[in-house]
Amino acid sequence: MKRLTSQLVAQPYFLALVLMIVGFAVIALFQPNFFQPRTFGNNLRSYLPLICLAVAQTIVVIGGGIDLSLGAMLTLSSVVMVRTFGPEFEVPPDRIAAGILLGLLVATLAGAVNGWIVAYLRLQPIIATFATSFVWGGLALWVLPQPGGNVPQGLQDLVRLNALLPFTLWVVLFFGLGWYFFLRTKGAKALFAVGGNPQAAYASGVNVDLTRLLSYAGGGFFTGVGALFLVGDVATGDPLIGAPLTLASVVTVVIGGTRLSGGAGGIYGSMMGAAVYYLLINVVALAVIRFGWSSQLQTLLTGIVIVLALAGPGLVYLTQQLRRRA
Amino acid sequence: MDLLLQAHNLTKRYGATVALSEADFELRAGEVHALLGSNGSGKSTLSKIVTGLVAPDAGELRVGGQPRRFASPAQARARGIAAVYQELSLVPDMSVQDNLWLGHEIGGLLGINARETARKTDELLALFRPVAGPRFRAQTPVAELAPDERQLVEILKAVGNRPRILILDEATASLGARQVDRLFELVSGWKAEGLGIVIVTHRMEEIFRIADRATVLRNGRVVGSVEMKDTTRAALVGLISGEAKRALQVEAKAPAGRSLPALELSLRAAERLEALELQVYPGEVLGLGGLQGQGQRELLLALFGALTMVGELKVGGRPHRFAHPAEAMRQGLAYVPGDRNREGLLATRSIFENFMLPAWDGYKTGTVLQVERAQKAVIETGERLKLKYGGLELPITSLSGGNAQKVVLGKWLLRHPKVLLLDDPTKGIDVGAKAEFYHLLNDLRAEGMAVIFNSSDEDELLSLCDRVLVMLEGCIVAELSGAALNRAALVEASLGLKGEEGAKTIGGGEASRP
Repeated sequence: MKRLTSQLVAQPYFLALVLMIVGFAVIALFQPNFFQPRTFGNNLRSYLPLICLAVAQTIVVIGGGIDLSLGAMLTLSSVVMVRTFGPEFEVPPDRIAAGILLGLLVATLAGAVNGWIVAYLRLQPIIATFATSFVWGGLALWVLPQPGGNVPQGLQDLVRLNALLPFTLWVVLFFGLGWYFFLRTKGAKALFAVGGNPQAAYASGVNVDLTRLLSYAGGGFFTGVGALFLVGDVATGDPLIGAPLTLASVVTVVIGGTRLSGGAGGIYGSMMGAAVYYLLINVVALAVIRFGWSSQLQTLLTGIVIVLALAGPGLVYLTQQLRRRA
Repeated sequence: MDLLLQAHNLTKRYGATVALSEADFELRAGEVHALLGSNGSGKSTLSKIVTGLVAPDAGELRVGGQPRRFASPAQARARGIAAVYQELSLVPDMSVQDNLWLGHEIGGLLGINARETARKTDELLALFRPVAGPRFRAQTPVAELAPDERQLVEILKAVGNRPRILILDEATASLGARQVDRLFELVSGWKAEGLGIVIVTHRMEEIFRIADRATVLRNGRVVGSVEMKDTTRAALVGLISGEAKRALQVEAKAPAGRSLPALELSLRAAERLEALELQVYPGEVLGLGGLQGQGQRELLLALFGALTMVGELKVGGRPHRFAHPAEAMRQGLAYVPGDRNREGLLATRSIFENFMLPAWDGYKTGTVLQVERAQKAVIETGERLKLKYGGLELPITSLSGGNAQKVVLGKWLLRHPKVLLLDDPTKGIDVGAKAEFYHLLNDLRAEGMAVIFNSSDEDELLSLCDRVLVMLEGCIVAELSGAALNRAALVEASLGLKGEEGAKTIGGGEASRP
């Protein structure tokens, strides 16, 4: 047991795990109806796009990059899906398939373009992807200038599925299992090596540039999956919906213990990080209501709590240093 | 005879520097072939071309009789060439096992064959198990291994996919004696199996223990290839240094005033440094020689307060303790870093700002900078350095390498330092700028400045220095001056061989006083 505990503490996602448990505990105390099956499912469903973006960002960051266009990419992919589904209320099956495939393809291609710019044109990832975020955002407005459109009922039902577990948890389990097997492939070894020490990877015969490109393309694909769940959830298209999720995805990666400079981490922590992100917002909202504070304070408090969560490891280190000096 | 590898006329240039010139080399099956040469002789470049890390500008490479041209290490490895690199090629965060198989994992598209990988990993690790620590296991992250154990992993990684040609580039540098013994046992075994093994090392005794043949390079050219059984140490040292023993007598330079040392160090320990002592006097140029990376850089950094050290330091006879370079600067020390672009210059700022960065202290009233006075001083210094520039406000990147290096040095002259620490200041600059630099150094010496001068260029040490301390693995192993300061003695001391008559050989890091 002791060994298990120490092993758990050593995991990079330990902080995210603790914060998630604390978050759920606080909510269980002050908002017990959160865990009623219906409410719980609804809440978790709204987490889905960010969970997918967290996975996407983790893959890119482990490979030594970062993608600040994921939010815009999510939007673009979602409006492409909605436009392809068409205006009719009853969407024919071939259009459903076309919409989903096209949306996934657009997102994956957008990721690949980012990866190509970073790996082959050697632009700084932050700058390159920030720039392309305007391209994806602009394309999204061109595809769907105003919110609207239809989403097939089947897709809406899918994300509302509650078989044994809410749909979100099935997705998380599926991603987790996929990650477990991915770690046992050559691709994963190449990804971690390229992020951890590109020179060593090159000298070992790894195709560094291609690995980088594929990491961004992989991020794009999971962003497309996020777009699919997003349109299923909101049942319509919106050309401005994804932007706030970009930086949230970086926050989930950091809370989840993935190293921003690359080469270490994993999606387990990031998916927990996504939950932590929403739970923190929820807890702050609860506190604001409970103590009768002004609702304008909510953004400020959320910001402070997120900063504290991110600074957690640094603060622990600092106190250890001070104690040692004393 | 079974020739595994033939290189013909290989040439490689880096800018104006010729790293390798028309080099020929061949490797037979079942032989251990040593590549020898001093700093910058081209032996590393040659081995990097063979392993695909560096593409040659000209020349031909034949592997098993077929002409080949490698664009990457992966292509070289596909032809059975594996290398143990001098600079480690491991990913610290990954486990020993993942590192061993990185880039050539066992398994197909569906994933890695875990059982087979684990079995082969155990087989490999068993080769060095008796000479490694308890952490030397498949799942240990490489970051948690000791440096020698990392080197063992590096070696196993190279032999993991059964190469036909194995290149050991300074593979023994961080190994202990028992580990070297074990490695040589294994090398003998591989040799018997018909592998061709190239060994690059500076440890002469190892070459005589293990090598069958040696090819010697000097200044990028192959100067000889000899059978080890037909040669002697003296003959090899002669080939490496390019002259017979005692052929060169350097004129004793004007003795520096033996008054109070400008700087005295009695070091007990620091990163990569053992116990050592040194003094440098006003008007003296003290050289630091030896192979590169033997602690010379660390010694300069320790003197400049940029590296934590244990020991006593005296400047002008008064004890000091520098916690930060700023404190060393206040006592009249200046440091010219070896990596000009990373540590010497602000790439995005003007020539003027680069000059003044360390010197503003002397050019301000209160907090207001005396820009005009500073500009005059910079222009004067520029003239003294024969700096070629378009204007003070132009970006530093508008200067050529040699002129940029003048700024790196010149900015310190504005502070009128008493002790100048130079870390390989002429590396990568052209001949003309070098000559001007030598003149300047002589002037500064004449003015009474004390200079500590690390150089990877033997000629500079021989022609510019009053004394040379030769460093090896963090120790000072010899102090050469007067007639004993010659090329053969320098090369011998660098390789850790006994010095000749007249040179003071220092054991156990104990420096003798001049």
